[in-house]
Amino acid sequence: MCRALDLAWNPFMSLRKLFAVVPALMVALFLGAPPAKADPVHTGHIEVELVSQEAGVAPGSTVYVALSQKIQSGWHTYWRNPGDAGDATRIVWTLPAGWTAGDIVWPTPEKSRVGPLLDFAYTGDVLLPVPISVPANAQVGSVVTLKAAAAFLVCEQVCVPEDAVVTLTLPVVAGMPGTDPKWGAKVAETLAKAPKPAGLKAVFQLQGSVLKLAVTGAPLKGADVSGAFFYPYSGKAIEHPPEQAIERGPEGLTLSLTPGYDFTQAEQKPTELSGVLALNGVAYEVTATPGTIPAEAGGLGAPPAAPAKARGTANSADGGASLGLPLAVAFAFLGGLILNLMPCVFPILSMKAASLTAHAHDAGKTRVQGLAFLVGVVVTFLALAGLLIAVRAGGAAVGWGFQLQSPAVVAGLALLMLLVALNMSGVFEVGASVQNAASGAGAGGDGVAGSFLTGALAVLVAAPCTAPFMAGALGYALTQPPLLSLAVFLGLALGFAAPFVLLAFIPGLLGRLPRPGPWMDVLKKGLAFPMYATAAWLAWVFSQQTGPIPLAMIFAAAVLIAFAAWLYGLAQARGALGKSQVAPLVIALVSLAGVIALVWVAARGEPQVTPLHDERPPASSAAGPGLAAEAWSPEKVKALQAQGKVVMVDFTADWCVTCKVNEGTALKGQRLVDAFKAHDAVLLRADWTKRDATIAAALAEHGRAGVPLYLVYPKGSGEPVVLPQLLTEGLVIEAIEKAAKG
Amino acid sequence: MPITRRLVAAGLPALMLAIPSLAHAKAAPAFTAVDVDGKTRSLSEFKGKVVVLEWVNEGCPYVRKHYSGNMQGLQQAATADGVVWLTIASSAPGKQGYFPDGAAARTWMNAKGAKPTTLLLDPQGTVATAYKAKTTPHMFVIDRDGQIVYEGAIDDTPSAKVEDLKTAKNYVAAALNDVKAGRKVAVAYSQPYGCSVKYKDA
Repeated sequence: MCRALDLAWNPFMSLRKLFAVVPALMVALFLGAPPAKADPVHTGHIEVELVSQEAGVAPGSTVYVALSQKIQSGWHTYWRNPGDAGDATRIVWTLPAGWTAGDIVWPTPEKSRVGPLLDFAYTGDVLLPVPISVPANAQVGSVVTLKAAAAFLVCEQVCVPEDAVVTLTLPVVAGMPGTDPKWGAKVAETLAKAPKPAGLKAVFQLQGSVLKLAVTGAPLKGADVSGAFFYPYSGKAIEHPPEQAIERGPEGLTLSLTPGYDFTQAEQKPTELSGVLALNGVAYEVTATPGTIPAEAGGLGAPPAAPAKARGTANSADGGASLGLPLAVAFAFLGGLILNLMPCVFPILSMKAASLTAHAHDAGKTRVQGLAFLVGVVVTFLALAGLLIAVRAGGAAVGWGFQLQSPAVVAGLALLMLLVALNMSGVFEVGASVQNAASGAGAGGDGVAGSFLTGALAVLVAAPCTAPFMAGALGYALTQPPLLSLAVFLGLALGFAAPFVLLAFIPGLLGRLPRPGPWMDVLKKGLAFPMYATAAWLAWVFSQQTGPIPLAMIFAAAVLIAFAAWLYGLAQARGALGKSQVAPLVIALVSLAGVIALVWVAARGEPQVTPLHDERPPASSAAGPGLAAEAWSPEKVKALQAQGKVVMVDFTADWCVTCKVNEGTALKGQRLVDAFKAHDAVLLRADWTKRDATIAAALAEHGRAGVPLYLVYPKGSGEPVVLPQLLTEGLVIEAIEKAAKG
Repeated sequence: MPITRRLVAAGLPALMLAIPSLAHAKAAPAFTAVDVDGKTRSLSEFKGKVVVLEWVNEGCPYVRKHYSGNMQGLQQAATADGVVWLTIASSAPGKQGYFPDGAAARTWMNAKGAKPTTLLLDPQGTVATAYKAKTTPHMFVIDRDGQIVYEGAIDDTPSAKVEDLKTAKNYVAAALNDVKAGRKVAVAYSQPYGCSVKYKDA
C-alpha cells in the first residue's frame, strides 16, 4: 500500500537522480584503491552504509561521517521527534581511543499522516551526518575503523525494527584530506540544507487554547511562508496533527499551535520551545522563549495565493488578492449592489419593501428611514468586519460568513427571524406603539430604530452570500492592514444600502408606489412567509451543525418564543383597553428565559471547530441523484489529477444560499452527469458549514475569504481555473471539457 | 404555565450535563466496548478502582518485546493488587493486530499467557480516539476518582529490544506504586513510543 506522504519538500529528490549513475561509479571505486572504504548492509527494507564527507582525516580536525539510509519505496524512518508514533534512528559508536562522536545533524523531515496521527519521517535516500572529532595525536599514515551500531524503526503500514552494524575505514593524513569523490558533495549538501539558527528571534505565548509562536528576523522578511510548519524537538510540547495556522507579519510570521501536555498539564511550564521552522525549501532552527507576541510578527493575514501569477481565471472580475485599493473598493460597491439580488437577501428585501410602502407618501419620514437603514447597514458591516479582522489577528482561520459557523448565532438568528415573521403576521407590535397597532396602520416598529435594525439584520443574514465582484474585493481586504480592509468593507456596505437610500431620496421613484391603504396590511402579512421560510432554513443549517437533539430543543424554543410573542401581543391589546398587563407579561418573560436556556444548551451540543474525525457523512446526496461528490482534501486533488482525472472542487456551506442554488441548478442535471462521465471528471466537495482551517487556507490561496468558490483542475497536474460564483450547467460543462483537453 | 415550566425543567438537566465538560481535561473519558467474551464493558463499572489501559497490537514488534514476559508480569502483579487492567485492541479490520472476534483474541492471550482483567475489542477505534491513543503500547493509569494520573510510554527506554528491559525504568509500575501509597504520581506523562495505532483509513 502506498502511503500518502507530504512531499512538499524533499531535499533528497535531486540526489535520487544521482543514484542512477552510482552503481557504475561504485564498481569503479571498488576496483581502484578507495581512500575511504565502507560496506553497505541490507537490513530488509533499508540499505545502510557509513559514508564520509572527506577521503581521509587530519589529526585534530572534525570530519562529518553520515549514516546513509536507502529506504525501500513506501517505507519510512523517523526524525529525532518521531511525532505521534514511531521511533528515531539511534547510533551507538565504537571508535578508537580519543575519538568522539557528536549528535546527528537531522535533515528536515516530511509530514507523514497515518489516520488521525501525524509522524515526522524520512523517505527515499537519507543521510544522517554526525561530526566525529579526531584527536590531535592520531597517527598520520594509520588507517582507523569507525564502527556504528545503528537501530532504526522502518514503517509502512506495519513497523519493523531493524539493526545494522556498519563500519568505515579512513586513512589518517597530514594536511587537507580532500573530499570523498562519491559522498563528499552529498554530505556537504545535506549539511548545508540542515536547519540552522540563522539569528531568528522567537517568542511563544499561550493564549487560551492556542499556543502562539512568533518568529522574526531578516531571513523571514518578505519570504514565502505559505508552507510554514513548526517541527518541535520535544514530543510533549504540542499536539502534532492539528493544522498550524499561519499569520504573516512585516518582520516574520506567527503560527497558531495546539499546546500539548507540557503547556496544558505539566506543573512546570516550559521556559523554552525549540524545533525546526520549515518553509518552502528552507528550514531554520528556532529556540523560542516566553514573551508577548510582537506586532511585527503578524497583522497581514494568512499567506496569499502562493502561485498567484500562474493562475488562469475564467472571470476576470474575480482577480483575487492582486487588486489595488481603489479597484477593490469599486468592486466592493458593485458587489454590495448585486448582493441585493442574491437569494439569501430576498426575505430582508421583502421586509424593507413593506416598511417603505407604509411611508411612501411622507417624503420626510421616508428620508429619515432611508438614512437610518444606511447607518444600520454601515455600522453592522464595519462591526462584523472589525470582529473578523480581530479574530483573524488572534490566529483563527475564519473567513467571511464566519458568524454563521457558530451554532449559537444561527439558532439566535432563526428565532429572531421567527419573531420578525410573527410581528409581520400581526401577532404583536414592536415598542409601545399600541395606538398604531389599534388603529391598524401597520406602521409599528418602523420608526428610525426599526429601520436601523432592518439594516443590521439584512447585513447579518446577507453577509455569508458572497456575490460576484465581492469575492475578489473581500479576498483583497483580508490580506491588507486593518484600515484598508475597513475601507473595502465600507464600499461593500454603501453598495448594499444604495438601492433603498436612493429610493427614499428620489421623489419621482416614491411617487410611483401606490397610495397607502388596507392592501398594505395584506402585503405585510403575505411577506411574513418568506421570513418564516428564512427561519426554517436557519433551523436546518443549525441541525447540520449540531444534530437532531439540539434541533428538537430549537423547535421547542421556537414554540416558546411564539407563545411569548402572542402573550406580549395579548398584553398590548389589554393595555389598549386599559386592563392589567402584568400576568401575560410575566408569563411571556418566563417563556423567554426558557428560550434562552434552550438555545444555550442546544448550541453547546457540539464543538464549533470540526473535530479530527468529522462524523458527517460526505455530502454526496446534496448534489442530487447521479453526480456524487466526494469529500475534498488537497492531497485527494493531487492524487486524482495524477490518475488522469479532471477534478472540480465545490467549496460550499449549508448556510450559503448561493452555494445551494448553484448545487441545485447547475451541479445536478443529467447533462452534467454525462459530461463528468465522458471526461472522466470527479466532483469534490469542501464543506465549510463548520470552521475548518484547511478549507480556509485553500480559500485564501485563491484570494478568497468566503464561499462559494468553484475550481476546475486539469488532469495530470497544473493550476485550476476559477469559475464564476453564479454557475450555469453549460458553463460548468464547458469548463470540464476544456480541462479534459488539457 | 405548566408547559413552560416543564420545558425549562427539561432543559435544566441537559444544562447540568453540559457543565462537567468544562472541568479539567484530565478526567478519564467514559467508554463502552465489547470484551473478549462478548460482554459489553464500560469504564463506569470500575468506578472506585484503579484502572490501567494498555493499547495492544499483537503484530507490533514493541508489543512483542514487552510480551516477552514484562507485560504479563505487570498485569499479574497489578490485578493481584486489585487493579483493573484493560488491554485494548484498536486495530481496524484488515490492519495489523486486528482480532476478528473474541476467540481470536483469546487464542492470542492464552498463547502469550496474558493476564489482564479483560481484553476489549475496539475495531472502530472509538476508545482509542477518545483517549487519543497513539502507539502500541500506549499506557494510561486512571485513579479511583476517575482521573488520568499517568499516560504515555510503558517505560523510559524506547526500543524494540528485549535486552533493554533490564535497564529500563517502568513508568506504569512506578505510577501504580505511587497511587497505592497515596502519593502524587512522580512522572505523570511521557511521550509514548512504538507502532502507530492502526486506525481505520480516514
